[in-house]
Amino acid sequence: MGKARILIAEDEQNIVESLSFILKRAGFDVDTAADGTEALDRVRRLPFSALVLDIMLPGMNGFDVLRAIRSDQNLAALPVIVLTAKGQAGDRRMAEAIGASAFITKPFSNAEVVAHVSRLAGGVAGR
Amino acid sequence: MARNLTGLKIRALRRQRDLAQGELARRVGISASYLNLIELDKRAIAGGLVDRIAAELGVERSDLDGVAERRVVASLEEIAADPVIASGGDYPGPAEELVGRNPAWAALVLRLYQAWLDQNQAVLALADRLNRDPFLGDSVHRMLTNVTSIRAAAEILEADDALTPADRRRFLSIVAADAQKLSGTAHALLEFFNSAHMRVRSATPAEHVDAFILATDNYFPELEAVAADFLATGRTPDAAAEKLPAASRRFSAEATVAERPETRRFRLLKESLQPVVAQPIQALIQNHAALVSEESRTLATSALAAYAAAAVLMPYEPFLEAAERWRYDLDALSRLFGVSYEQAAHRLATLHRPGAEGVRFAFMRTDASGYVTKRLPLPRLSLPRYGNACPLWAIHAAFQNPGVSARGFGELPSGEQFLFFARAVEKRPSSAAAPRHLLSVMLACAVDDAGRVAYGDGIDLAKAMAPIGMICRLCPREVCGHRQEAPLIT
Repeated sequence: MGKARILIAEDEQNIVESLSFILKRAGFDVDTAADGTEALDRVRRLPFSALVLDIMLPGMNGFDVLRAIRSDQNLAALPVIVLTAKGQAGDRRMAEAIGASAFITKPFSNAEVVAHVSRLAGGVAGR
Repeated sequence: MARNLTGLKIRALRRQRDLAQGELARRVGISASYLNLIELDKRAIAGGLVDRIAAELGVERSDLDGVAERRVVASLEEIAADPVIASGGDYPGPAEELVGRNPAWAALVLRLYQAWLDQNQAVLALADRLNRDPFLGDSVHRMLTNVTSIRAAAEILEADDALTPADRRRFLSIVAADAQKLSGTAHALLEFFNSAHMRVRSATPAEHVDAFILATDNYFPELEAVAADFLATGRTPDAAAEKLPAASRRFSAEATVAERPETRRFRLLKESLQPVVAQPIQALIQNHAALVSEESRTLATSALAAYAAAAVLMPYEPFLEAAERWRYDLDALSRLFGVSYEQAAHRLATLHRPGAEGVRFAFMRTDASGYVTKRLPLPRLSLPRYGNACPLWAIHAAFQNPGVSARGFGELPSGEQFLFFARAVEKRPSSAAAPRHLLSVMLACAVDDAGRVAYGDGIDLAKAMAPIGMICRLCPREVCGHRQEAPLIT
């Protein structure tokens, strides 16, 4: 059985570096996308076990990416962990309403991210 | 609607002078019982008698006729109708009594309300600024992003003993770089709060200028004289403007595209008149009781400079003559004098020279949201200061068909009847890139003067007299499909 594959969609390169490092250490394969359009394109073409999705992405924002994923029959079950620097209740409600599997507010602890990803992606590879 | 306050004022002044009612009546040649009715405002008082009473009391006629007080009454009643002020309290009754008996207290209440309104607006503006300022929102987002990166890298450095030297260097450099960014953002925020960005301008100076213009009847013989002298030397408005430094003339394509020709002409003339109007304007505003702050004097200076420019472009006698001849048709007047519709309309509201007066007009200007940006009321027609005008006024209908006059007759609950006519005009020329910026300009005159005004032509007065109000909360008309708020007084 292969490693579970995680996509990190985040435009801040330094955060991507740290997230990739801790998820790889936790036993996942990691791929990255720097904007919303690229993220959507990646999950449509490749099998992932979970998507770690920032909301404030350039171009297509995280909410739009999440909506597109949930309206795509093939992707509807993909676990999506939403990251946001805005901790407001409105963002959280919006993320939950459009089908986020988990919601993490920045600044997060590494352990919190690993725990959510492990719970949702399990140890198995995606479709 | 305000009652006539003359009687109350006569009584107050008579008492101040320890003069018995019978004695004053005898001196002015009327019976004591008639004077009593006048003092109780149960009898109207005719012109000659007002002069005799004023002379006996040692005051000017204008001190008795109550025009200024009626404005204060109208403002106080608007305050009483403010939902926040009125909430929970009983309606305090008509304001005439307070204004008539104790004008200083009435003025104090008015000033207090304006100060409160100012503070409220400042708080709202600051809250709005903090909530919505894109710089603040972006800064907070950037700080959280930097903190997130520092925290994640620091946790890796702290927890992972097995880091390779290369990884250790990589995450240390991430911490250093993001700490640097974080401090940059924090400094920028500090600068933002220290800078003039957060200054809140008070709304009160505009109110003071309103009061100044009303107190002077919006007619300034000194500035009319400056304009006449200017024209008498054979100078023309456009030639004067050409003498301005190139920087003022702003002949760039950008300025030409963004400004209407009439606006540009007016602006250049206003600037070029500066040397000749500065001194007379200074004399007018210096020590005027209404202009209590530096800001209000600055605003009044600009308003008076505009008055002088209007007086040059539309000289008093020829403009009055043309207005009478063309029956106040603003299109005709704007073409004859090369001015905009709004400039001509505003000039009409200044034709108050004793002995050579034009039709008396109230002037009002709003944007599409109903926000009042300029107002010159008439003694019998209050214009809303703090709330939105009755939706039946022509000033709103004008937005339905920009560039075309909306007009109509309206009767206030007091029974006073007026002709209203308004037009939505473009503040700036439209362009493909920007939405149209429309303002509605309205004039109103008493129905008795409507025969002199072309805008009243062809309307069947009896059928077209619409029942209107001033603002919903002060309007007692129970049956009105346009009502938005319950009346304060029922």
